[in-house]
Amino acid sequence: MQSNNPPPNPIVNVAELLARVDNDAELLRELIAIFKIELPHNLCVLREAIAQGNLKRVQKSGHMLRGMLSNLGATRGTAAAAQLEQLGDSSDHTALKSALALFESELIDLLPELEACVAKARP
Amino acid sequence: MRILIADDDVLSLRLLQRTLERDGYEVTAVQNGRLAAEHLCRLDGPRLALLDWVMPELDGPAVCREVRQKGEQVYVHMVLLTSKESKQDVIEGLESGADDYLIKPFDPAELKARLRTGLRILQLEDRLVEAREDMRFKATHDPLTGLFNRGVIMDLLSRELYRTYREDGCTTILLGDVDRFKNVNDSLGHATGDEVLREIARRLLASVRSYDFVGRYGGEEFLMVLNNCNSPSALQRAEEIRRAIASAPIQTARGQISVTMSLGLLASTEWRLLPVEELLREADVALYKAKAAGRNCVKLASPDVPPNVSTQSVQEQPK
Repeated sequence: MQSNNPPPNPIVNVAELLARVDNDAELLRELIAIFKIELPHNLCVLREAIAQGNLKRVQKSGHMLRGMLSNLGATRGTAAAAQLEQLGDSSDHTALKSALALFESELIDLLPELEACVAKARP
Repeated sequence: MRILIADDDVLSLRLLQRTLERDGYEVTAVQNGRLAAEHLCRLDGPRLALLDWVMPELDGPAVCREVRQKGEQVYVHMVLLTSKESKQDVIEGLESGADDYLIKPFDPAELKARLRTGLRILQLEDRLVEAREDMRFKATHDPLTGLFNRGVIMDLLSRELYRTYREDGCTTILLGDVDRFKNVNDSLGHATGDEVLREIARRLLASVRSYDFVGRYGGEEFLMVLNNCNSPSALQRAEEIRRAIASAPIQTARGQISVTMSLGLLASTEWRLLPVEELLREADVALYKAKAAGRNCVKLASPDVPPNVSTQSVQEQPK
């Protein structure tokens, strides 16, 4: 029997990412390097903002991460960051914590997926 | 084409920079809105901009507002590139002065097409500005000689005279008329006459300083306004101008033609503040005196002579 549920979004939309970097492996490598530097700091800011209940900062941080991840074609990470950004409008601390957990889980496999894309791009 | 990109997300900034450079743009990349506004408000700044919305110091819409308020000299085509995607955001962004709105993550082909649209608009604006400047030039300059036309030189003279009296300085009015110019037109034709007038205009312009004014007052009459020039040096300057016309024949298609110029000179320090028309009438009286004295000379307008008497007596003399 066929399932009616749509297939889950890929971690990285490879075709979209390669089109965005014009299939340029060097540029992709550079963007991944930037991401590796920027992510820990942004994640730290986000965690701190949630812990302090600083919703404005949660929203701003979520927005920044959403933009960064969307440029990398990180479909699921982008959706999780968007959820955090939206929750910055509410004061639902429990929802925020669970959104943060989901976001962090989406990041686990992201880097290997991105690095695998480099091999698919033009050297 | 130069383009400014502003985004506080380093990754987005680098991706945009590389994409645009690959497409031939010369990219200036900044990470906050304040710097973006500074670049875009410069007269020689980039005229195309891609702006993120959320940025430190000044957000994208604030940059658009500031550029629209300050940078009125040249038009800057601004595109907001942001992850803010609600209809309300789009409207707010465009109302702030942005010309276009793109949602992140950008599609490279769409981004390039939108920027090409921006370039077309800028090219159209350039053509309109060029046409406006051309019309402005035609409205203020004499088409034959390229000098200021009568209306403009009169305005400039009026302004200079008021400034001179206010600052207790001196403005010199020089009214010059080409001697026996009718003979040139009658014997060699109007085309040659035009060549002569053009060369005279060139020599007059070459004889004055950059802050003096030269205009075509009438057919073969020229009005020069020499700023900060008192009587003794004004006479010397007028002599130099006279010599510049007389010293070498003018080369035309019909051969070399020698021409001279008679000049009437009026130094404002020797006159009380009178309407421009009255002072010009006095300069014209002096010009007639120069004609009467045998032409190719300079005569000074003197306030000691009662204007009514001198005007009447000189007007009877042939020009």
